Amino acid sequence: MANVRELSVVPPPLPASWTPPAASGKSISPLVTRRLIPAGPAYLAHVKRAVHNLTFEEHDK
Amino acid sequence: MAAQPNGTADAPIEVSSIPTVVGINFGNSYASIAVLAKEGSADCIANEDGERQIACAVAFLGEEVYIGNQAKPQLVKNSHNTIMGFRNLLGKKFSEIPQDKPITSAPVIQHPEQPDVPAYKVQVLQAAPSPLPKSTTTTPAASNTATPRSEPVPAERILTVLEVTTLFLKSLVQSAEDFLGRKVQGAVISVPTWFDSIQRNALQKAAEDAGIRVLQLLEVAGAAALITTTGLTPKELSHDRTQLVVDLGASSLELSLLSIREGIAFSLATLSDPTVSGNAIDDKLIKFFAKEFTKKTKTPLTVAPATESQDKRAEAKLRLAVEHTKRTLSASPGAATCSVESLKDGLDFTGTITRLRFDMEVRSVYDQVYTRVKELVEKAGLDLYDVDEIVYVGGSTSLPGLDETLAQGFPESIVTPFTAGTVIGGGVGDPTTIISRGCALQAKLVVVLPDDTDDEREILASFTDGHNWTQTATSKTIGMLFPEENAEGPLGGQWIPAVLRDTVVPARRLYRLDVDLGEGEGEKKVGFEVWEAKEGVKIDRVKPPKLDDEEDAPADDEEEEEEDIEVKEKTVEKETLLTALSFAAKEARQVEGRWT
Ligand SMILES: Nc1ncnc2c1ncn2[C@@H]1O[C@H](COP(=O)(O)OP(=O)(O)OP(=O)(O)O)[C@@H](O)[C@H]1O
Ligand SMILES: [Mg+2]
Repeated sequence: MANVRELSVVPPPLPASWTPPAASGKSISPLVTRRLIPAGPAYLAHVKRAVHNLTFEEHDK
Repeated sequence: MAAQPNGTADAPIEVSSIPTVVGINFGNSYASIAVLAKEGSADCIANEDGERQIACAVAFLGEEVYIGNQAKPQLVKNSHNTIMGFRNLLGKKFSEIPQDKPITSAPVIQHPEQPDVPAYKVQVLQAAPSPLPKSTTTTPAASNTATPRSEPVPAERILTVLEVTTLFLKSLVQSAEDFLGRKVQGAVISVPTWFDSIQRNALQKAAEDAGIRVLQLLEVAGAAALITTTGLTPKELSHDRTQLVVDLGASSLELSLLSIREGIAFSLATLSDPTVSGNAIDDKLIKFFAKEFTKKTKTPLTVAPATESQDKRAEAKLRLAVEHTKRTLSASPGAATCSVESLKDGLDFTGTITRLRFDMEVRSVYDQVYTRVKELVEKAGLDLYDVDEIVYVGGSTSLPGLDETLAQGFPESIVTPFTAGTVIGGGVGDPTTIISRGCALQAKLVVVLPDDTDDEREILASFTDGHNWTQTATSKTIGMLFPEENAEGPLGGQWIPAVLRDTVVPARRLYRLDVDLGEGEGEKKVGFEVWEAKEGVKIDRVKPPKLDDEEDAPADDEEEEEEDIEVKEKTVEKETLLTALSFAAKEARQVEGRWT
């Protein structure tokens, strides 16, 4: 169920001077807790991954 | 089978591998049923009266029981034996039910025996107790003269809210079974978001008493989200989007703002307002027609509210009649009529109204919906410009004037079933059938779930009532920034949002895109930075352009104070650099001199 989304944007060429900055080591903002609406196949897939402790890749198989 | 004495080994019809399931939209005023179609979609079906929108009404007249749309006309002359509005009373104690509203149908009473249980008392005719059966087995048939059936006797019948619901749901399922020619093996039934566990349990019990296997009670917004994320996503919409569900039924307005991320939905905010409703629209419309009637016939008629009994009866007739008027107005841009035989003093009435006039009459209701929508979005900490899609639910959202009113506040790119052209003709966006169809698709999904292992039971439980499957979600959008020489704007490159805020984690997003690698030869490199971003909506106030003919306008000083026009624009700011990637482009192709 790997949904690869095709994007139509074409990013411009890299500036000659650009070098990748080092990873900042920062983490993303705090997560919030939400109650999922129990509907649809995507919800089912999510619950299956959680219950069986699967990664996306394992679940794809 | 008598015609084929030898029989055959083949199954007579193609037996579907999944059990027969239905989706039931159970509103307070109308219900509908959907079944699974061959192509994997769901269809809302008409009942034996040819109705897809089945009135939640049960009426008793003598020995007859009318259920559905046939029960509604009983409101005119037999209102005390006509039961309506029972869904919202499920799970309520008698003492919890406000008794201040004017009653136009059978009143809710305290059950004579069960303490604090709401019930209805109706007058019926019961078959007289039949004479004691004669020795039935031994009496020869010939000697059994037809005993004249004795007159049925008037009696009182007490029905609890639960019993009425059971009676009604049973008739819905019966309609589905008549249509399908098969037994229904399970159903998903819709519930309003505000139904608590007591109300849900009451509904579950009523359905089970009707012999229905309840697969799930699904909140209305969930059914709407399911339909709009199943099948093709319109190209204007992303799989990650913010969706506003506007449900305007007969007796209330229910709003939900949903985060939809690759089909997973959760609610960002909800709001419910019983003063904004289809009934309020009816009030305006019947007042309009009552005035027309008085103008034409010089007969006074005061409705909504009516005080005299004659006027009350006329009001009930008008309410039934405008149902048709409203549907005509939704379906076609021309004028619609309203006809009532013997509206008052034996005088018939036929009136017409154009869509323009109608929208004018009910403008205040549209505006109230808009005000509530703004409140809801604000409550979620968002702006109208953050909403990508509006989904309509409930009969009253079929009115194009409502969509026009709301559209003003949203970005031009907003997708609604009206912009998508899917409202009428049984389109996917049809607000009158969307809930039953969503429930049917959900029924198809859950009915096949196994329950043999603990894990399987846990998965199953995540769908059932009371189970709150919570999960953490991101609070800010994470995206890729492709740096660019002399880029416009503060970002310094091309921003591609990858994991939007309010995305449930763990999450995975896979994107495929072409990257411009420039014109030169040599090693080609692709690189980008990963940032967490701060998003917002910038509002500029600009003076409206001066009109040329301003001098000609009448000098009405107070009114000429021109309001600034709001110009909104979405903004993105880089906030936290997370990481960066750089790699050599291995599959560079040269297209017209440039490498991608
Ligand atoms: N095509 C239409 N155009 C305009 N109004 C319509 C149309 N179809 C139905 N309605 C109105 O919609 C209302 C019924 O909506 P719905 O079926 O969503 O009710 P419901 O969910 O049972 O309502 P509630 O729970 O709020 O009482 C009624 O007021 C009805 O007149
Ligand atoms: Mg409703």
